[in-house]
Amino acid sequence: MNKREKLLEVKNLKVEFGKKNNKFVAINDVSFNIYKGETFGLVGESGSGKTTIGRAIIRINPVSGGEILYNGKPISGKIDDDLDKEITKKIQMIFQDPMASLNERAKVDYIVSEGLYNLKNYGSEENRKKIVEQALLEVGLLPEFASRFPHEFSGGQRQRIGIARVLVMEPELVIADEPISALDVSIRAQVINLLSDLQEKKGLTYLFIAHDLSVVRFISDRIAVIHKGKIVELAETEKLFANPLHPYTRSLLSAIPTPNPRLEKNKKIEIYDPSCHKYEDNPPSWVEIEPEHFILANEIELEQYKRMIK
Amino acid sequence: MKHKATEEILNGEIVLSVDEIVIKFNLRGKELTAIRGASLDLHKGESLAIVGESGSGKSVFTKSFMGLLDSNGRIESGTIMYKGDNLAKFKTEDDWIKIRGKEIAMVFQDPMTSLNPLKTIGKQVQESIELHQNLKGEEAKKLAIDILSDVGISDSEKRFKQYPHEFSGGMRQRVVIAIAVACNPNILICDEPTTALDVTIQAQILQLLKNLQKKYDLTIIYITHDLGVVANVADRIAVMYAGDIIELGTADEVFFDPKHPYTWALLSSLPQLGIKGEPLYSIKGTPPNLFKEIVGDAFAPRNPKALKIDFVKRPPYFEVTPTHKARTWLLDPRSPKIEPPAMILKMREMDEKWGVSNE
Amino acid sequence: MSTKTINKIADNIDPSLFEFAEYDESKAELTGYSNYSFWRSTIQVFLKNKVAVVLLLIVGLVVLFTLVQPYLPNQKLPNKIYLDPATGLQLRNQSPNAEYWFGTNSIGQDLWARIWSGTRTSLFIGFAVGLFEALVGITIGALWGYVRKLDAVITEIYNVWDNIPTTVVLIILTYIMKPSIPTIIFAMCMTGWLGMARFVRNLIIIIRDREYNLASRCLGTPTSRIITKNLLPYLVSVIMLRMALAIPLAIGNEVFLSYIGMGLPLDIPSLGNLINEGRILMMSPALRYQLLFPAAVISIVTVSFYVIGNVFADSADPRNHV
Repeated sequence: MNKREKLLEVKNLKVEFGKKNNKFVAINDVSFNIYKGETFGLVGESGSGKTTIGRAIIRINPVSGGEILYNGKPISGKIDDDLDKEITKKIQMIFQDPMASLNERAKVDYIVSEGLYNLKNYGSEENRKKIVEQALLEVGLLPEFASRFPHEFSGGQRQRIGIARVLVMEPELVIADEPISALDVSIRAQVINLLSDLQEKKGLTYLFIAHDLSVVRFISDRIAVIHKGKIVELAETEKLFANPLHPYTRSLLSAIPTPNPRLEKNKKIEIYDPSCHKYEDNPPSWVEIEPEHFILANEIELEQYKRMIK
Repeated sequence: MKHKATEEILNGEIVLSVDEIVIKFNLRGKELTAIRGASLDLHKGESLAIVGESGSGKSVFTKSFMGLLDSNGRIESGTIMYKGDNLAKFKTEDDWIKIRGKEIAMVFQDPMTSLNPLKTIGKQVQESIELHQNLKGEEAKKLAIDILSDVGISDSEKRFKQYPHEFSGGMRQRVVIAIAVACNPNILICDEPTTALDVTIQAQILQLLKNLQKKYDLTIIYITHDLGVVANVADRIAVMYAGDIIELGTADEVFFDPKHPYTWALLSSLPQLGIKGEPLYSIKGTPPNLFKEIVGDAFAPRNPKALKIDFVKRPPYFEVTPTHKARTWLLDPRSPKIEPPAMILKMREMDEKWGVSNE
Repeated sequence: MSTKTINKIADNIDPSLFEFAEYDESKAELTGYSNYSFWRSTIQVFLKNKVAVVLLLIVGLVVLFTLVQPYLPNQKLPNKIYLDPATGLQLRNQSPNAEYWFGTNSIGQDLWARIWSGTRTSLFIGFAVGLFEALVGITIGALWGYVRKLDAVITEIYNVWDNIPTTVVLIILTYIMKPSIPTIIFAMCMTGWLGMARFVRNLIIIIRDREYNLASRCLGTPTSRIITKNLLPYLVSVIMLRMALAIPLAIGNEVFLSYIGMGLPLDIPSLGNLINEGRILMMSPALRYQLLFPAAVISIVTVSFYVIGNVFADSADPRNHV
């Protein structure tokens, strides 16, 4: 287990927005590692800061504290041009809304080649065309789509164009920020399968950000649950589903909709009330409660949680 | 298979009856057929869920019950019968005023855009009461406060005076529901009522709607693409595809014994049913272009097991049980027998297992 | 539908149709139309508007005519004072006739020639100012809107500059410098780009943080290309509108300067000083033609540009393309 290679390390990450007197702490003291080749799921509700973490890693959002290491090298804050170039190539992002994430006024050809133009590594024009064609085929689109504009495509196809533009960069780590939540149900499976295929073929590592636990469960190896800018629980997927400890995780799990009218009509949802924690005199810390299962808890809670593990 | 309550409802009064409705839109000089002859009977007191992807026409279909079609849209043919009136023939706003709110009310997806940010939420609920229930002033205010606490807004007397921005997304949706309920409608249409909300809030809002349905004797139409929501609340489910209801049945029938290949595909592609490490069942391609005339079964081009006839002739409704019908040639006796996909069988198994433990 | 009718429909179907059809996966992927081109669609939509097309033709003809008019046969010179061959006196205030199509002015100059010469001058000023405004305004506006570091600096410059009333700038500049076409153009350019820059900045701020721009940043696209490829194409329609309106506005400004006596000298005819001349004579009905003709030309040009600009802005919006 410990032999796994750490691709990305996030250490005590803090992200703040706004000016001095109007500060908002979006991410507070978050740490986790992503290992090479795995899919790391990050689950939380809207406003929990999950997107902010993704954007901090890809350096759209500035980091106000802590650090982010990629292959052991710090990539947050000021970095030199060579590393900047390397990181830009190696870490890529898939966006949530395929309707908003493609440049409507550019042809698919340009959208997919955009990264190539920036890296200037494609050699001849002919070669660039070939790369674009290859990328489109890989995501299940026809090469002749290159000469069209995004508005001619459906949501699922547009999302695949977004994936193709990431593929030409030959990235190692792909941050998928809610890549399917804006898609229709019948299209979601296409995109999930595509992501899994690509992972297998190209040895990609995913940071999969979502609010829908059923999707995350299907695709992720490990899951971190984030609530109000703090990760409250982190474990391997099945461990988390077998032994959800933190009350917030439990409430999330209980709310997962099941496609079964009889179960669904009788289900009991747990409601999470943050005031159940008594953190005033006894602040929580980030503890490994069982191997590979981390939780945010103070000592008293830790005792309770330990008893809950079967 | 059927719940007793469901059966009672289905034998009861029909409040709204839509027959062979065709709705067209003019878009940039072209004609788009959004609804292609859909029919539906709504029974008093039931919860009917209309499931479909975007563009399937589910919203347009229900908007036509309230005269809320965009100005470039029109009802081409068919009838919508409500209390002896044919709503499809309504033309003027005066006609619709009698229906909107009082008879049929609607809850929209995004609570922020359906509230007036400049008025207190109490005022907005009160206005709705004054407009539709012939109550004035203090009386209306008292009722408004009651309704607000009915929708789960605690301390409603105090919160009466607050503005929409002081509420969270879930709370705002409760206010929107309160405004709809304050019209004292017969039918409540909920258009994706939980899509904009977080999972944990979603469940609470659905529970609230169920409670209100009992208390106010509502007939509810849910419009959604989320099968989880459907399973939770629906007595009956109508599956829409490309402007038509392709399958209609009780929730149990549609989930455990679906007949249309599109319904199969829709259920099979749910990640909840997927096995990790194996590809999820997926529907290829995209929904048809409604600017073109659709020949045969609209789903055929995306259906790997389509029959030749699916490309030639539109299937009629075949009745499976008195409450369950589907538009697919697979139900014709001459068609080859096809087993539903493994996922559906798995779901049935799951239910038998769970079904026992729930009894 | 009852079972009976179903059977009726179903009965006369060839049973061989109840077989599996061949399934072609790639067919499911195909979508609507292809060969879309932004500019072609824009032109197509534009051409559908008959009024705009007619006005475009008119403007085109006017521009063309102002250019070729001096070379046509039997044209008079705009600044020459014509004398009555019989009396040797100036042909003052002649009403339109066969010789002087638009009549003559108060010192005997041919109004027809002056009007076309004036239109040429005014259109030149209009185009020059419009072009400059667009170039400078868009460049500065785009940087102002997109590069956050520049925001505070440019905002300050803008605030200071914008607080000096345009008319004052125009008057001072034309007062300091010798009244001439370059002076007028320079004076109008000094103030005109401000509005354009601010307009572009506001538009860019609206679309700057859309996901597709974040996506470009993630791909390492340099700012200059984000501006030219991602932002400005979205603004084509509105920028076109502004530019189309800048031309009549510049002509209007020139008229205003002439009105207060700061415009071009009388030996450079322009619509501005022609109208000003005509305005003085407005009160005597017999001489009103001297105001009427230049006013008609300026109205046609202004209205045409306005309508063309609006229609073009609409047709350059891809949402209006099929």
